[in-house]
Amino acid sequence: MAMNDDAAFWSILAYLISGLVFWGGAGALGDHFLGTHFLLIVGLVLGIGSSFWLIWLRFLKS
Amino acid sequence: MRGLWIQANPGFVPPSSADFDFQPIFGDSILFTKPVLLVFLSVILAGSFFTLSARKAAIVPSKLQFAGESIYTFIRNELGRDVIGPEFMRFVPFLFSLFIFILTNNVFGIVPLLQFPTMSHIGFPIGVTIFSYVTYHYVAIKKHGLGKYVKDICFMPGIPKPVYLILTPVELLTYLVTRPLTLSMRLFANMFAGHLLLLVFTLGGEYLLTSGLILKFLSLFSFSFAIGLSFFELGIQALQAYIFTLLTALYIAGALADEH
Amino acid sequence: MTGTLAIVGFGLSTIGPGTATGLIFAAYISGVARQPEARSILQPIAFLGFALAEALALFGLVLAFVLK
Repeated sequence: MAMNDDAAFWSILAYLISGLVFWGGAGALGDHFLGTHFLLIVGLVLGIGSSFWLIWLRFLKS
Repeated sequence: MRGLWIQANPGFVPPSSADFDFQPIFGDSILFTKPVLLVFLSVILAGSFFTLSARKAAIVPSKLQFAGESIYTFIRNELGRDVIGPEFMRFVPFLFSLFIFILTNNVFGIVPLLQFPTMSHIGFPIGVTIFSYVTYHYVAIKKHGLGKYVKDICFMPGIPKPVYLILTPVELLTYLVTRPLTLSMRLFANMFAGHLLLLVFTLGGEYLLTSGLILKFLSLFSFSFAIGLSFFELGIQALQAYIFTLLTALYIAGALADEH
Repeated sequence: MTGTLAIVGFGLSTIGPGTATGLIFAAYISGVARQPEARSILQPIAFLGFALAEALALFGLVLAFVLK
C-alpha cells in the first residue's frame, strides 16, 4: 500500500500523539486520583504500543 | 574612553508572545484589531486581483491574466487532478481559495508596513482548518454513509476483539482531534516562529544602534540578517500554504477512496 | 531569566530524533530516486523507522509537560 508520503507522514505523527495523549492522560488522571506513581508510565507505554499497532495495521501490513 | 566604544545600554527587552497582542483599532472593541483588518485586506486584495485578471480574458493573455491563470492551473493540476483523481473538479474552487487565502495572509508577514502574518494567531489557522475538516468528513459520510464510515474508523479488521477496547479510542482521537490539530498547529507554529525570528533580529539591530560606536556598526549585520531572513521567510510562507492545501487535498482523496 | 528546565530537556531530546528522521528520509529519497519501482517496498520500512524515531521525541515532549 504505497500511499502518498506526506499523508503517511502526518498521519503517523497524529497516531503517535493521540496514543500518548489518550493513554498517558488516562494514566496521569489515575495517578492523580488514586495517589499512585506508576500508572503514568504504564499509560505511556500502553499508548505508544497502541500507536505502533495502529500504524502497523494502517501503513505497514499488506 | 573604552566604555564609550563598546558601551551597551542595559534593558534590552527580548521579543515575546506579548508582541503578538494588538490594541483595538476602534474604541474598546476587542473584535477589531490588526489581524482582523489584515484578513479583510487579504480578501479584498486577492478578490480584486483575480477579478481583474479574469475580467478581460483573451486568447492571447495579458501579463495579469497570465499570472492569475498560472496560479490557478498549478492548483488545479498539481493539487486537484494529481491528488484527488477523477472527481477533482468539484474541489478545485475550495482548494484554490484555501491556498490563496493562506498565502496572502502569510505573505503579509514580510510586506513593509503591514508586517504581521495573520496566521500566527492560533485562531485563524483553526478557523481555516474547520473548513477542510468539515469538508473531508462530509465527503466521506456522503460517499460511504454514516454507519459504514464510523465502522471503518472504529473497527479495523484483523485484530482480536478485546484489543478494540485499547485501539478504538486512539483511532477516534486521531481522526476527530489530532489530525486537524496537527494541520493547524504546523501552520501556526511556522508563522509564529518566523515572525519571532524576524523580531529578534530587527529589535536587536535597533537596540545595538542605541549603544556604543562599535556596537552601532554591528547593528548593520543584524539588519542585513533580518533582510536575508525575510526572503527565507517568503519561502517558508509559500511552502506552508502549499502544504496545508496539499494535505487538505490528500485528506479529501482519502475520504473519497474506497477503503481507508 | 525565568522558565523551566524541562523545556531545555525537551530541546536536547529532539536532537537525536531530528537527526534520525533526517537520515531515514535521506536514505529513502535516494533509494526511490535510484530505483523508483522499489518505492512500495521502501515506504513501509522508512515510515516504520520514522515512527520509532519520532516516538522518542514525543516521549520527551510528554515528559517535559508531566514531570515537575
